[in-house]
Amino acid sequence: MLELTSVFLFMLFGGMAVGCALSMIVQRNPLYSAISLVGVFVSLACLYVTLAAPFIAAVQVIVYAGAIMVLVVFVIMLLNVETEVRRPLRLRYLIPVAAGLSFVLIAQVFFMLFFVGPVSSAPSNVGLTASIGAGLFTEYILPFEITSVLILMAIVGAMTLARRAADIPLAARSADSSGAAGSSFTDPINDSRISGSRPGLTEIVGREMAARAIERLESRTGRGQGEET
Amino acid sequence: MLGINIAFVVVLMIVAYTVLAERRILALIQGRLGPNRVGYGGVLQPFADLLKFILKEEVIPDQATKFFYLLAPIIAITAALMTIIVYPFGPTVNLPFFGPVKLVIAQFDIALLYVLGMTSVGVYGIMLAGWASNSKYSLMGGLRASAQMISYELSLGLSLVGVVLMSGTLDLYSVVELQTNRWEFSPVLNFFLQPLSWNIFLQPLGFIIYLISAIAETNRVPFDLPEAETELVAGFHTEYSALKFALFFMAEYVNMFTVSVLATTLFLGGWNGPGVATFPVLGVFYFLGKIIFFLFLYIWLRGTLPRFRFDQLMNFGWTFLLPAAILNIIVTATVAYFYY
Repeated sequence: MLELTSVFLFMLFGGMAVGCALSMIVQRNPLYSAISLVGVFVSLACLYVTLAAPFIAAVQVIVYAGAIMVLVVFVIMLLNVETEVRRPLRLRYLIPVAAGLSFVLIAQVFFMLFFVGPVSSAPSNVGLTASIGAGLFTEYILPFEITSVLILMAIVGAMTLARRAADIPLAARSADSSGAAGSSFTDPINDSRISGSRPGLTEIVGREMAARAIERLESRTGRGQGEET
Repeated sequence: MLGINIAFVVVLMIVAYTVLAERRILALIQGRLGPNRVGYGGVLQPFADLLKFILKEEVIPDQATKFFYLLAPIIAITAALMTIIVYPFGPTVNLPFFGPVKLVIAQFDIALLYVLGMTSVGVYGIMLAGWASNSKYSLMGGLRASAQMISYELSLGLSLVGVVLMSGTLDLYSVVELQTNRWEFSPVLNFFLQPLSWNIFLQPLGFIIYLISAIAETNRVPFDLPEAETELVAGFHTEYSALKFALFFMAEYVNMFTVSVLATTLFLGGWNGPGVATFPVLGVFYFLGKIIFFLFLYIWLRGTLPRFRFDQLMNFGWTFLLPAAILNIIVTATVAYFYY
C-alpha cells in the first residue's frame, strides 16, 4: 500500500514537473513561462518531501518559488513585457547537439534501470534540518563561506554597475542630441550644477528622456523638426 | 482527516467573526454603530455577507487574462489555508472516546519553514491578480504588494531566527513545549509566574520586529499600500467581484490568523498559561485568547493609525527593521553560545 502510494505520488509530482517544464519552454508569454517555472519548483519540492528531505523541499519553496521567481515575475510585470514574437531560428546548429544530449540522458536512464538496480530505501537523515546544518557548519564550512562571499561579490558588483550608470553626467550622455534645435527641455540639463540623475531630479530627467524619445521617433518616421517649429 | 476538517471549519468561523468584530470595533472607534441588524447585535452578519457574495453577479473583465484571473484567488486562499495543519492549538488532552490526543494536526520537523514557504507562495495570488486584471489600479496594487511582501519577508524570517536558535527546533509543537517550564520556582510561584517562561521575555526585540513585519506581510494598516483606497480604488482586487473577491478577502483574514498563531506559538507560549499543567483543556482557551488578542490588536491599529507613504515603508523595512533583526540574531547567537 505504502509502495503504491509513493509510486502514485512520484507519478503525480513527476508528471507535474515535466508538464510545467514543457509549458515553460513552449509558452510565448514570459509571464506564463515564469509561472510554469514556479510550478516546476513546487512539484520538485513535493518530490523532495516524498524522498524524506523536508528541509530541502521547504528551502526550495522559500528560496526559489518564494523569492527568486517572485522577483522575476515582478520585473516582468514592471516592464510589461509583451508576448515574444516567433523569430527565425538562428542557432540551428544546436538542434543536433540537443538530440545527442537527450540521447545521452535516455541512455543514462536505461543504464540506471538495467545495470544499477534499486538502492535500498533505508531511511537516512540526509535531508533533515539538523544534519544539513551540522554538515554546512563543520565539514563543508569552507565551500559554504566561499559561496556566501561569492554571492556578496555579485551583490556589490550589481550595486556598482547600477551606481556607475547613474553617475555619468546626463548632459554628457545626451551631448549628441542636446544641441538640436527646437528642444526646449535641454536647458536645465546643460546647467553645470546638475550632473547626473540624482533623486529629486526625476522630473528633469523624465522630461529629458521624453524629449529624446520624441526626437528619435520623429527622425525615424521622417517627420522633420521643421514641421514642428 | 477529521482534525483537518474541524480545524478548517473553526478557522473559517473565526475568520468570519473577525470580519464582523473588525466592523463593529472600527465603528466603535469611529463613533458609529456598525452592522447590528442581522441577528442579535449582528451575530449573523457574516452569513448574510457570504450569501450576498454567492448571489452576486460574477464579472470577468473583458481584457483580463482569464486563466490567471481565475487562478489568482485560488492560489491566495489555498496558500493561506494550507498553513492550518501545523498550528499547535493545545497540549496533550484526554478526549472521552479517543484517549490522549496531541492537539496538533501534523507535527513535523520543518513546520516553521513550511508556514513561511506557504506565506511566500501566497504572494503569487496577489501578483497574478494584479497582472491578470489588466487594469492600472490592479497592476499598481500587485506591484506594491509584491515589493512590500518581498521586503518584509526578510525581516519577518530573520526575527524568528532568534527563537529558533534558543529552541533548537523548527517544530512548532516542540517550541511551545519548551516554553512550559523554563524557570524553576516554588510550585505556587510556578503557577503564577508561568508567563515568564514565554519567549517574549527573552526575545523582546525579535517580537517587536516580528509584529511589525507581520502586519506589513499581511498588507494591513498602516502598511496597506497595496489596497490604498484613496489612490488605487482597491488595489489588486479592484476588478474582482462576488465569490472571487470573497476568496481574497478570506485569504487576507486567514493570513492575519496565521501570523497571529505564529506570534502566539513562538513568542507568547502558545497554549501555555497558569493552570494548564493541571487542566490541559484550558490550553486551548489560552491559545484562542492570545490569538484573539492579536486579531484585536490588528483591528485597533486599523482604527487608529494613518497609512505610510511607499518610500517610507521601503526605507523603514530595509534600513531599520532588517539591521535590527540581524542585530537580534547576532546577540542571540552570542548569548546562546555561552549560556546554553
